[in-house]
Amino acid sequence: MDTSMEFTLGLSQGVAWPWPIAVYLFFAGISGGALTIALALRFYLGQVENTAFLKAATLLSFVTISLGMLCLVLDLTNPLFFWRILVFYNLNSVMSIGVIALSVYIPLVAVVALLALEKELMAIPQLQFLGPIITKLKGFRRPMEALVLLLALSVCAYTGFLISALIRFPLINTSVLPALFIASGLSAGGASAKMLAVWLFKEPLHSGEMKILHGAEWPIMFAEALFIFMIATALLTGNAGGQFAFAAFQEGIWASVFWIGVVGIGFGAPLLLNFATGKHFSHSAKAFYMSGMCAVVGMMCLRLFILLAGQNYAI
Amino acid sequence: MSENIERRRFLKSAGMCSLMLTPLAGCSVKEESDGAHKPHYVMVFDQNKCVGCGDCKTACNQANHLPEGKSRVLLEQQSGRVEGQPCPHCGKMSCDCERKFVRVSCQQCKNAPCVTVCPTGAAHRDAKTGIVTMDASKCAGCKYCIGACPYNARYINSDTDVADNCDFCLNSKLAKGELPACVQSCKYDALIFGDANDPQSYVSKLLAVKDSVRIKPQFGTEPSLRYIPIVKLGV
Repeated sequence: MDTSMEFTLGLSQGVAWPWPIAVYLFFAGISGGALTIALALRFYLGQVENTAFLKAATLLSFVTISLGMLCLVLDLTNPLFFWRILVFYNLNSVMSIGVIALSVYIPLVAVVALLALEKELMAIPQLQFLGPIITKLKGFRRPMEALVLLLALSVCAYTGFLISALIRFPLINTSVLPALFIASGLSAGGASAKMLAVWLFKEPLHSGEMKILHGAEWPIMFAEALFIFMIATALLTGNAGGQFAFAAFQEGIWASVFWIGVVGIGFGAPLLLNFATGKHFSHSAKAFYMSGMCAVVGMMCLRLFILLAGQNYAI
Repeated sequence: MSENIERRRFLKSAGMCSLMLTPLAGCSVKEESDGAHKPHYVMVFDQNKCVGCGDCKTACNQANHLPEGKSRVLLEQQSGRVEGQPCPHCGKMSCDCERKFVRVSCQQCKNAPCVTVCPTGAAHRDAKTGIVTMDASKCAGCKYCIGACPYNARYINSDTDVADNCDFCLNSKLAKGELPACVQSCKYDALIFGDANDPQSYVSKLLAVKDSVRIKPQFGTEPSLRYIPIVKLGV
């Protein structure tokens, strides 16, 4: 870039957003993705009972978004300042809009989880006081589920919009990012909720519901791969800044994270486990857990790669 | 090119203004005297005059009570030499002789990404002066502004744990009617500060006769810092 004047020094050293933010993006994606899949399935099949998958997804969604918030707060320069984000707002800021969405989303996820896990919670004597609250909330269950489904998708997309506003980094500053984060959130969120449903809530491995979920996995994974390919080609065929940032795919530690973690473990391993092995193995519990874990690891690597490799290639 | 666009924009807005003001011609003109002038504070860095002494950094540190060794402005030493060829000044293969510096600090964008992304409004534009500054009591330390700044000109002040930027000494000097500390301290007149919206100001007259450039204009941030570059040797 041959402008007549340029400087490369900066007032800040290193990346502004280190790995805990990638972990936050990961948890928020899992939370939104798992809940979206579970509620979409619930509306699609017209279920009214508390299925094992719904229980697993709502519990997972609440735990992961809480862990995500913890990462976010601990990454502030002074975690005790976090109340300022809740008190002061700037509606031009993506983060501020996200805070508003999250402060509706998190309590609603808690309520939806409470209703889904009614039987389990009522079995614990110390939690009997929740009984009347659950009964009162039941009347609003359907509208709350519809709203939280919309918010779950928004939270997935929000994590993409949040970082794509950083105009200095061509790998991050792309309009495809929210779509990519929705797709990868759905695939890893769905996979982890499935594993939890089978392991904790004893859902049979080959139930009808599981079959639908297995079937939905491949198109979502294809969309995810397509979005990554779109970002890479846009950089490669783009302007000088884009071509410079394309090196993120070719060199350095984060390129290895991408090729081994995202492509190898995230896409390659589940495909091999399901289609390159015999029917006996690919239908076993072992293959189910292994490919589920691969999807989750792949998503974590994707968030790390986009955030950290992205911030390493500034124009 | 930018001059043409600015002229076109000026003519356009002048036309719009006259259209809008025509129906108001019969109205009271009392308001016009108060607050009609909106200042646009700019700083010009003249690379031909800067020797890299660093007095601006020291003055910045003292005026704004920053942590030891920290300032809101840096100087980057640059060299026109081509790697593997002898220095055009001294002829040596490796040297540090070229005294060519660039001021690195907040560019005071008119369209500032830090102000847009700040979730709490801590990074904001001062209403009276239009200068991008910080309200330290609102900053949550999320570092969004640091990632969003195309110039990497913001940092976390280790004393206060909140983000910080060069605001032309808005509270430490301008409030007292003084020039920014770095401008005062520069012995070589490499820094010029003033109101570009005042046609009588020195900075307006300077910009009218000198060719100046802005850093990374392609980001559309419209920075208020202007640089007068050294002309290449042999021209």
